[in-house]
Amino acid sequence: MSDYNLIGKRMPRVDSRSKVTGKVRFTADLNLPGMLVGKVKRSPYAHARIVKIDTSKAKALPGVKAVVTGEDTEGVKWGVFAYTRDQQFIQMEKVRYIGDEVAGVAAVDEETALKALDLIEVEYEELPAVFDPLEAMASKGPLIHDDFPDNINVHVNIDTGSVDENFEKSHYIREDTFVAAEESYFQAEPYAVVARFDEEDCLEVWMPNGGPHMKSKPLSNAFKIPLHKVKVKKIAIGGAFGGRSEICPVDYICALLAKRTKAPVKIQFTREENTIATRQGHSMIVTHKTGVDKEGQVLARETTCYMDGGAYSSTGPIATSVPFLSMEQAYRMGSVRYNGYRIYTNKPIRGMIRVHGRAFACGVDTQLDMIADHLSIDPVEIRLKNSRQPGEYTSTKSQVSSCAMDETILKAVEKSKFKEKWGKLPAYHGIGIGTNSVQTGFPMGIRGGSQAFIKFNEDGEATVMSGVVDNGQGNDNMLVQIAAEELGLLPEDIHLVSADTETTSSDPGSYSQVSTFVGGQAVQVAAKNCKKRLFDVAAKILKVEPDTLAAKNRMIYVKDDPEKSIPIKKVVRIALLNFTSVNAQGGYWPKVDMKREWVSNPFGQMCEAFSFGTTIIEVKVDPDTGQVEVLEATAVQDVGKALNPLVLEGQFEGSIAMGGQANLTEYHDWKDGRVLNPTMLEYKLPLACDMPPKINNIIVESVDPKGPYGAKEAGMSIAMSAAQAYAAAVSNAIGVYLDSYPLTPDKILAAIKKKQEEEAKQGAKKARVN
Amino acid sequence: MRLPRFEYLEPDDLTQALDMLASHKEDVKIIAGGTDLLVRMKNQLLTPAFVMSMKQLSGLSYIKNHDDTLTIGAKTTLADIVDSDDIQEGYTALAQAAERVGAETIQHHRGTISGNILQDTRCIHYNQSRFHRSGRQPCHKDGGKICYARDEGDRCYSTYQGDMAPALIALEAKVVLSKKDGKRTINLSDLFTSDGFHPFSIEPDELLTEIILPKQKNNSKSAYQRLSYRSAIDYPITSAGVMINSKAEKIKKARIVVGSMSRAPLFMVKASETLAEKSLTDIDAFKEAAGIAMDNAGTFAVHNAGSTLEYRCDMTFVMVLKALEQAAGIEK
Ligand SMILES: Cc1cc2nc3c(=O)[nH]c(=O)nc-3n(C[C@H](O)[C@H](O)[C@H](O)COP(=O)(O)OP(=O)(O)OC[C@H]3O[C@@H](n4cnc5c(N)ncnc54)[C@H](O)[C@@H]3O)c2cc1C
Ligand code: SF4
Repeated sequence: MSDYNLIGKRMPRVDSRSKVTGKVRFTADLNLPGMLVGKVKRSPYAHARIVKIDTSKAKALPGVKAVVTGEDTEGVKWGVFAYTRDQQFIQMEKVRYIGDEVAGVAAVDEETALKALDLIEVEYEELPAVFDPLEAMASKGPLIHDDFPDNINVHVNIDTGSVDENFEKSHYIREDTFVAAEESYFQAEPYAVVARFDEEDCLEVWMPNGGPHMKSKPLSNAFKIPLHKVKVKKIAIGGAFGGRSEICPVDYICALLAKRTKAPVKIQFTREENTIATRQGHSMIVTHKTGVDKEGQVLARETTCYMDGGAYSSTGPIATSVPFLSMEQAYRMGSVRYNGYRIYTNKPIRGMIRVHGRAFACGVDTQLDMIADHLSIDPVEIRLKNSRQPGEYTSTKSQVSSCAMDETILKAVEKSKFKEKWGKLPAYHGIGIGTNSVQTGFPMGIRGGSQAFIKFNEDGEATVMSGVVDNGQGNDNMLVQIAAEELGLLPEDIHLVSADTETTSSDPGSYSQVSTFVGGQAVQVAAKNCKKRLFDVAAKILKVEPDTLAAKNRMIYVKDDPEKSIPIKKVVRIALLNFTSVNAQGGYWPKVDMKREWVSNPFGQMCEAFSFGTTIIEVKVDPDTGQVEVLEATAVQDVGKALNPLVLEGQFEGSIAMGGQANLTEYHDWKDGRVLNPTMLEYKLPLACDMPPKINNIIVESVDPKGPYGAKEAGMSIAMSAAQAYAAAVSNAIGVYLDSYPLTPDKILAAIKKKQEEEAKQGAKKARVN
Repeated sequence: MRLPRFEYLEPDDLTQALDMLASHKEDVKIIAGGTDLLVRMKNQLLTPAFVMSMKQLSGLSYIKNHDDTLTIGAKTTLADIVDSDDIQEGYTALAQAAERVGAETIQHHRGTISGNILQDTRCIHYNQSRFHRSGRQPCHKDGGKICYARDEGDRCYSTYQGDMAPALIALEAKVVLSKKDGKRTINLSDLFTSDGFHPFSIEPDELLTEIILPKQKNNSKSAYQRLSYRSAIDYPITSAGVMINSKAEKIKKARIVVGSMSRAPLFMVKASETLAEKSLTDIDAFKEAAGIAMDNAGTFAVHNAGSTLEYRCDMTFVMVLKALEQAAGIEK
């Protein structure tokens, strides 16, 4: 496998230079001639009926070019699934959270647009609002959505059978509840959209996105225009993390304003809007009941989870399933019953986020540690006893092919010296382990596959067209690296055209960890096909059989006789002179069970590959303040194959920050449905100076049989397991299993104090007995 | 976010500046580094007609060592304070406070000592965008009649979260307030009104021009401790500035000031007095003082600065104790 030129090499990303020098342009940087400024009027009430909207004063303000309300829309409702279409792009009857869109304005400048917002008069009739999922379920007040009784938006029920019997057979059973507050993405780039209709009435639109094709389809539906008339364009993106996957109402509002004004319109979010009006992570309450045998093997598990979904469905059915899936992939369970409820509340909309289900995942691992404690076995042993093995099926009947979960555990244990440290560290000093598994892809129907096109130019350079989008994780580099590897070119010879719905084919997008596996693989197939055409021509010139040829460093040469060679450029030119084109296409469609559905049929092959990660964290807790100092992090992931270790290490470290360090401080604070910490100052995003002084990154390669070069999901398994490891390490340091996330100093200190009080009481009792 | 419209004034010297203040009074706001003012203006918490910059008043940027005082010009940046050996050695608490303000790259170089002292009191319900504050009644500080931080609060309890003032008050700082026809020198502690709506006793036509730090007799050591969730870009949720004046290992005078727990820095008279004549190594005495400080500060605090009230109170004890130990030279 080591005969690759570029694959597996530490290659600086193709986009690094333009990003660090500030040359790259993001949506907010776009300035089109005659462009107007768009602004959105949002509801200041958490739940209210719209009685009347009067836009006449706003329209009369000089400089205002258009004002739109729900009346101006086709009334189309958005929802990821046919059964979750519950969100209008501009509300007409009711608003359901503080921030809900009620009108849009386009004006000559920002000041005028803001003034116009103030001049729009909206009369509301306030309705009782609910902010807590359990209260929302029990509420006798008006439903948030009339057709969802008890405010239950989604109920996912998974039952493998035999759960009750297996609990009866269990040697030890425990039931624990874990809670986590909502968190936000805080992408470096606040959301922005630019839209215009061109001279052929095509909608051109730029915005950060998790998949351009996932934006074009709803826009085509909303405007009732054919797909080819919606051109989602490529633009640099400053982070997504799950928060840019779906259509955003302002995409539509911006386009509608552009249509009305016949001018380009730009809407740029404030940091606050980015926090409240895109997506947030779900808060949740999770109860795990687990039964094990004498050795600590899980025989039965019953999990009930209540997720605060906010005002609309968003990716509801997926969001309600993913935490469960990560658990069932990582750990074998004799039997399992899951009831996941996503509840509507009058809070901002929740979507997918990197550590999707802090309470869920941290709960599973914390409870395993508790069980191990009870059985007097160590945390490593109990994980190895229950860890996923290659070839097995998950509880919902997905076969796991490549799997090096045990190797990730063992390598992390060795590197971190877990065995030497566990139970032997000084007081308030702790070490903890977390393991997790993330799926490479979801069943996505007709949008599950990706296709790529490659054409050679007469100068011997190639253009690669792919629908894959780069949110900042390095997908562009990945595509270039694969194409250059296969075609025998250098990275700088590849011109990438990507993430543009006009020129590239449908692609699943970058939010199911599938970009390399599916999109990268499509490029690999296309490049192989293209290479075959080059070799056919070159073989004739070199008078050898095509299968004796190889390509490298812009040359095609005979494998056994490398002196016998010809520059690729020359081959292209000879081909063209001989009436042969040098281009090709290729695609990849993962073989998943198309009948699998999130709610109605949650069984069958979920995706083709699964990744596995282990994180070990060592901490010191200040017993006076409850503050945590992280001493060392060890992140180990089975990524199948590391295409570019340099990029992967960046992903691992980012995951320690976003998954782990964030689990110490990140949460939203509320007052009556208002987010009290919408900005980077009040929301405690970890800074570079908060990061562990030492991070050990270890890449494990199980070489997936289906993945391109053996690659699969990379990075997310660290984000998830890091959250768990932080929880375990802090719990270990203070000798109390913590069940509420994030692990803020006040909670840690309260746990320490409670423990000291209990010990004092027990000490007193003992003294009395003596 | 946009700044509301205003007219920008840039006086060439102090006289001109004081003239401008005298003629525009309430309509003008002074901008030093702008790192507090501009954020509030963007949130439209205030919309002054005039903003007068101190940019050209370079004469107000200095740290001068005199026989019995050290004086600091109002426009001196936090970075200059951190860099000053005189302050690091003689007024350690002040240097420690400056070091922890905001982000080193922004607040330390733009932020000034006068702006730091005169930064407005804060509250998570108030320091928010106009959108956030809409759709509900305005609170006291916002010109209304209710308080979101304390049930049935009849006034504003916004918290003074500045880092420098608690240290400066512990060091017995005085400030010079200049206006067109004269100037007055007052104790820094008297600059604070303890009114959340109107936290300072400075007049609209006055400019804070100088900070005066007395030179302490005997052996004098100071320290500043503060707590936040993050290691930078984070206001303190509680803090303590202390000074210990000692002779022959006995404490002659102690000053304990608690910050971020009330509408003004709190000079803890009782807690400070308990330390008189105690030994520099008397940890129990320090604990007792810290306990009194915590109890007293706790009665002022409301839940409006993040974290939890209980935690902030508990941590006040820890901050005071740590600061006292540090000033007394007790290594931990
Ligand atoms: C993200 C962020 C984090 C921060 N963190 C901290 C922190 O941790 N600790 C902390 O203490 N502060 C913090 N601050 C607040 C502020 O940045 C600092 O206090 C800074 O020192 C203020 O100085 P300035 O010169 O920028 O003030 P300015 O904004 O220029 O002024 C502040 C106020 O003082 C008035 N003023 C200024 N100079 C004079 C004068 N000479 N006479 C009369 N009135 C005057 C102004 O009119 C204004 O009302 C933070 C701010 C931000 C945005
Ligand atoms: S303490 Fe009360 S009145 Fe003062 S700013 Fe906060 S909410 Fe407003």
